[in-house]
Amino acid sequence: MMRKRILLLLTLAAVCAGLRAQNVSDLILSEALAVPDSTGIVDEYGRRGGWIEIFNTSQGTVNLAGCYLTDDRTDLRKSIIPKGDLKTKLGPRQTTLFYASGNGNDGTFYAGFTIRPGRTIYLVSNDGRTIIDSLAVPADLPVGKSVYKTANDLRQIEFETQATPAVPSAGMPNIDMNAATKAQDMAEKDPHGFILSLVAVTVVFSALAILWFLFWLFFDRPAKKAAKATSVISSEAKGGVEKSAPSDEIAAVIALAMDMEQGGDVYAAIALAMDLYFSDTVHDAESFVLTMRPKEGTAWNDKKQNFRKLPR
Amino acid sequence: MEHIFQSLAQFWEYTGFANCSWQNIVMIGIGIVFITLAIVKEWEPMLLVPIGFGMIVGNIPMFPGLNIGIYEDGSVLNILYQGVRQGWYPPLIFLGIGAMTDFSALISQPRLILIGAAAQMGIFGAYLLALLLGFAPNEAGAIGIIGGADGPTAIFLSSKLAPDLMGAIAVSAYSYMALVPVIQKPIMLLLTTDKERRIRMPAPRQVSQKEKIIFPIVGFLTTAFIVPSGLPLLGMLFFGNLLKESGVTRRLANTASGPLIDVVTTLIGLTVGASTQADKFLSGKSLLIFGLGLLSFVIATTCGVLFVKIMNLFIKDPAKKVNPLIGNAGVSAVPDSARVSEVVGREIDPKNHLLMHAMGPNVAGVIGSAVAAGILLAFLG
Repeated sequence: MMRKRILLLLTLAAVCAGLRAQNVSDLILSEALAVPDSTGIVDEYGRRGGWIEIFNTSQGTVNLAGCYLTDDRTDLRKSIIPKGDLKTKLGPRQTTLFYASGNGNDGTFYAGFTIRPGRTIYLVSNDGRTIIDSLAVPADLPVGKSVYKTANDLRQIEFETQATPAVPSAGMPNIDMNAATKAQDMAEKDPHGFILSLVAVTVVFSALAILWFLFWLFFDRPAKKAAKATSVISSEAKGGVEKSAPSDEIAAVIALAMDMEQGGDVYAAIALAMDLYFSDTVHDAESFVLTMRPKEGTAWNDKKQNFRKLPR
Repeated sequence: MEHIFQSLAQFWEYTGFANCSWQNIVMIGIGIVFITLAIVKEWEPMLLVPIGFGMIVGNIPMFPGLNIGIYEDGSVLNILYQGVRQGWYPPLIFLGIGAMTDFSALISQPRLILIGAAAQMGIFGAYLLALLLGFAPNEAGAIGIIGGADGPTAIFLSSKLAPDLMGAIAVSAYSYMALVPVIQKPIMLLLTTDKERRIRMPAPRQVSQKEKIIFPIVGFLTTAFIVPSGLPLLGMLFFGNLLKESGVTRRLANTASGPLIDVVTTLIGLTVGASTQADKFLSGKSLLIFGLGLLSFVIATTCGVLFVKIMNLFIKDPAKKVNPLIGNAGVSAVPDSARVSEVVGREIDPKNHLLMHAMGPNVAGVIGSAVAAGILLAFLG
């Protein structure tokens, strides 16, 4: 029993860990700039330097706190993203920017290393071991240009690193957020709705037909076969006279006859008894409290015996 | 003295009388009609009383900015409305429906599942018509789901596809669900002959507990793998049913099918009603939605009945023919549409009981409409 419980707890823990990992795994390193030009953005200290952009590809909020940024494969815990800052929660399809100042103590959004062309940046999960995503910074990345990942549209999850360095777009998702909605797509591709209707009707029918087939194959058919076999055996045992189940009509006649013979009260009592039997409410709900109630009063519960005799 | 008059004048500006418009009066009138229908005619009272009263609540004229209106952030009504807006009331209702539903009728006659699929044509018929009338595809999808005759599904999908139309869509869906006996009966009579209406179906076989337990698991896996976007509705529906049928979670099933669904139904009804503020509700679009909603019910019923007639063409054994009067039950509206089958069937043959047979396509319709909603969400969401 104990083993089973331990196994269950371990399974739950594994599932929870999996969910957590899956959550953080929706993050990608979407863009990085190694060497800024004179138009590059400045950090809170007025410095101009490299930066790393992280994008949340999921439809839920992801907390970055406790994750790590590094540019060293052998030191995955190089720069921790501090816990306790509410700003580390990244909303759905949102980006956040980390300044690669070389000093993680500058603030929450500062990495403890600078970005050097030719190196790879890693985003590491809060377990300090699992690499969530990486972004290779080309050795020949020109000054003022960034390397970034993009996708064709919001529904495409696989982001690819672009070979051509881009004009930096810090804090902006590298995808078209104003891409046409599904409804707009449908309005263009299927203005009269025939395709969608046809597909939808087919799917509804298929789903229910599969359900019908499964139950017909595994339950309905075997049950009917078994009933038929029982009926044959029964008829053979009775000398070939087949006895069929009473039809609704026969049942109604029996009910009427019972009503006439026994009267309404008896019929109602039988119905009530059957209802109680089938609804499993014949027995009272037990309180599981044992009580002792002697008929005669005892010294414990008889008020008379407990009255204090007043002195005369 | 002057100060008193000034205060009174200021107070007057805050009263409903000073801020009232004719649209508010019309909506309050509709709310009262809903309540009257629910109490006097007993048409879907569990839904129409909260919706009707919600309409009155939402249309009390008020001075804006007091943070009490349903569309004002942080107000009590606004917080309760988030369950509708974000779409988390409908799955909770589906949990309760699952815990209440007995799928035996469906399991014992699996072929009736297909009727539940045929009746979903109403959704796509209304979708095509809505596009024809100039609605955007996402709006058309939300309007089409009225044909599923399933209030929670309609609210769920419209909250995702066209939140602005949600009030009109929800009121339309619930209104027509209440009017199922009025809408469906003439269509059923029109499309069937006397002979067809007299068809007696064989008694369904007894379903084992094992089948009942396996059904929600297999049903969920099959439908959710095909339409993952219907997960919130399908997952909750089958989960609720597993709670009921497993036999070991009776307390959870009782809570889901009792207090939980009651609380959520009350809140969903009240807030949907309150969301029909005159300035947002009374428009030409709402009228069109009501018209399309009615048409979707008509198409769904027609397709359900006709599908059974077509099925019968392929069934050689006369004893296995299906009574077309159960075709209407393919639209969800549990159990009202199945009840209509029973009533119409007994009108021509008082000893022909169709209720149990009609419950098969009826519960299949719930699954079908959730699947259809999932498809629309996947394509248009």
